[in-house]
Amino acid sequence: MTTLTLAKALNEGMRKAMEDDPKVLVMGEDVGKLGGVFRVTDGLQKDFGEQRVIDTPLAESGIIGTAIGLALRGYRPVCEIQFDGFVFPAADQIITQLAKMPLRSLGKLKLPVVVRIPCGGGIGAVEHHSESPEAYFTHTAGLRVVACSNPADGYTMIQQAIRCEDPVIFFEPKRRYWEKADVDTSAPADDWTPFDRARVVRPGADVTLLAYGPMVRTCLEAAAAAEEDGRSVEVVDLRSLNPLDIDLVAESVARTGRCAVVHEAPVFSGFGAEIAARLTERCFYNLEAPVLRVGGPSTPYPPSRLEDHYLPDLDRVLDAVDRLFAF
Amino acid sequence: MTVTVPAPTGTTPSGARRTPPPEPEDLELLLLIRHFELTLLRLFEAGELSGTTHTCLGQEYIPVALSRLLGDDDFVLSNHRGHGHFLARHAEPYGLLAEIMGREGALCAGVGGSQHVYHRHFLSTGVQGESLPVATGVALALKGTGALACAYIGDGTWGEGAVYEALNMAQLWRVPLLVVVEHNGIAQSTPTAAQMSGRVAARAAAFDVLHHRVTSLEVGEIRTELAPLVAMVRQDSRPLVVEFATHRAGPHSKGDDTRSPEEIALAAAHDWYDRYARLFPEPFARIDRERRELVERIAAEVTARPPSAWERP
Repeated sequence: MTTLTLAKALNEGMRKAMEDDPKVLVMGEDVGKLGGVFRVTDGLQKDFGEQRVIDTPLAESGIIGTAIGLALRGYRPVCEIQFDGFVFPAADQIITQLAKMPLRSLGKLKLPVVVRIPCGGGIGAVEHHSESPEAYFTHTAGLRVVACSNPADGYTMIQQAIRCEDPVIFFEPKRRYWEKADVDTSAPADDWTPFDRARVVRPGADVTLLAYGPMVRTCLEAAAAAEEDGRSVEVVDLRSLNPLDIDLVAESVARTGRCAVVHEAPVFSGFGAEIAARLTERCFYNLEAPVLRVGGPSTPYPPSRLEDHYLPDLDRVLDAVDRLFAF
Repeated sequence: MTVTVPAPTGTTPSGARRTPPPEPEDLELLLLIRHFELTLLRLFEAGELSGTTHTCLGQEYIPVALSRLLGDDDFVLSNHRGHGHFLARHAEPYGLLAEIMGREGALCAGVGGSQHVYHRHFLSTGVQGESLPVATGVALALKGTGALACAYIGDGTWGEGAVYEALNMAQLWRVPLLVVVEHNGIAQSTPTAAQMSGRVAARAAAFDVLHHRVTSLEVGEIRTELAPLVAMVRQDSRPLVVEFATHRAGPHSKGDDTRSPEEIALAAAHDWYDRYARLFPEPFARIDRERRELVERIAAEVTARPPSAWERP
C-alpha cells in the first residue's frame, strides 16, 4: 500500500501505462515541462521525452483531432483538456469524429483515445474552470464516459481507460486532486473492479445515494451524518456513466426502496434524469418514494464567491434523504 | 453582361499541339469517375437512392493526377465530395456503389454511406475542416516513414477554425501533410468572393506552410509539376498546400445550383471531359463508351444485390 493523492495516483497510473506500452502518448496544453496545471502529468515528459509527452498549442479541436489521427495509426493518445470549459471547442472532434468513426465502421476502426477532463467546482475558480459537462458526452453514442472519485480508482481506472479499445471521456474531480488515500499499486489488474462496473462504497438498508466523481465523498459524509439519525444509507459510486451499471444500481434501489442521485451539474436534463427514468422502469414496484435529484440549478456556474450556494453539499443531500422518508 | 469564356490555362487556344494524349489508364479512370457520378444522379432521379449526394463532376482530374503520386502507405482523408477521391485510390466501384446504396458487398456495410467511407488507408468525413486535425495526427504518426497524409478540402473549408489549428500544428511539428485544395470558386451556393477574405496562399504563408497553385487540367502535366513537391513533403517532412484552380461542373448536391447560366457555362468550358473529347476523339469515344457501359453494368448488378447486413431487419 502506498498513500497517494488523486493527482499523484493518476500520474502513477499513466506512468505505468507508458512503461507497459510504448504506443501510449500524453498530449495537451502545458502537460510537459509544467506537468499540467494540476501537475497530473508531472515528470512524465522528463522521463518519457517530448515525443511521447507533447506540449500542444491552445487548440482543443486540434488536440483531439490529432489524437484521432495518431490512434488511426496505432497510437494510444491520452489527451488532457486543461479545464472542463475548454472541452467545448473540441466538441466536433469528440462528437462527430471520435464517437462516430468506430460506429460507422461497425467496429472495424478502433480509436483508443482517452480524453482527460478535470471537472467540477469547489476550488474557487471561474465558470469555465468549474463546470460539469458529463451529460453532453453520455448523450453521445459511441463514447465511454467514466468518473473517478478517489486515488485508488484513479490509479486503476486511468490504466483501464488507456487499455480500452473505445474512446473514453475520463472525468477527474479537480477539488479532490489533493485528497490522499491508500493505493495498492501492486494488485494485479485481474483484481481491479471491472472498468464498466459501479461499486457500493458504503452499504446501507433504507436509502441509496447514487453519485460519481466529486459528489461521492459528499454522499459518504451525508451517510455518516444520517446514521446518527438512525438511517442506514447506502452509497454507490457509479464510476462508469456510459455504459451504466444499471444492474447494480437497480439491485440496490430495489432493496432500499429510496434513491437520490447527486451531481454537481444542473438537474434539468442532467445525468440524474436518465437514472431516475431507468429506475422507474426497473424498480417501479419497489419504490417507496420518487427518485430525487440533487444538483446544480439551471444557471451558468456562478462566480466563486457564490459557488457554495450552487454546489450540492451535506445539507442538501440530507434534505433529499429527509424528503425520501417523508414521502 | 457579356461573359467571355477563357481557354483553360496552360494551353494554346487550339490546345492540340501542347497537350500530350492522356495515358489510357488515366482516361479510363477519369471516365469511370465521370460515369459513376452521372449514374448516381440518374439513380437518384429514378428513386433508387436515398439521402443526398455530392458529385465531383469537372474535378475528377485532380485525384486522378494525384493517384500515381501516392503510395500504398499514404493515408487519404476525403470530404463530402469524395467518390472521385476514393475511386482514384481504390479500384473498387462495386464496393463504393454498394456502400452508397446499402447493398451486399458495401465497403462499410452501408453504415458510412456516401460521405463516411473508411477503407484501408482512406477515410472521409462530411464536416468541413474537421479532417485536417485528424490528417495532422496521421501525418505525425507517419513522420519519418516516407509516407504522408493527404487531405482533400475545398475553398469553403477555409472558413473553419480547425483548418488553422491543424496548419499551425502541422508546420510546428513538421509533419508530412499534403493538403489538396479543390478551389472551385463556390462553397455550396456562396461564391468565394462572398465567403473568403484574402487568399489561400497568404493564409498558408501565415503559418510558413509551402503553397503551390495548379491551373492545369492535364493529368500528366500536373504530375510532373507536383512530383518534386510531393517528394519534398516526404523527404523533408513538412506540410504543403496545393491549390487547384478548378470548376464544379455540377450542382453542390442535386438540383441546388444557384449559379447564373453564364457562370455554369464558364464552369462547363473548363470541363476536362469536353476538352479531351475534342482533342483525342479516337481513344476518348471508345473508352468513354466502355466506361459508361461498365458503370451501367455495375449499377445494374449492385442494384440487384440484397441489402447489406446492416440494412436487414
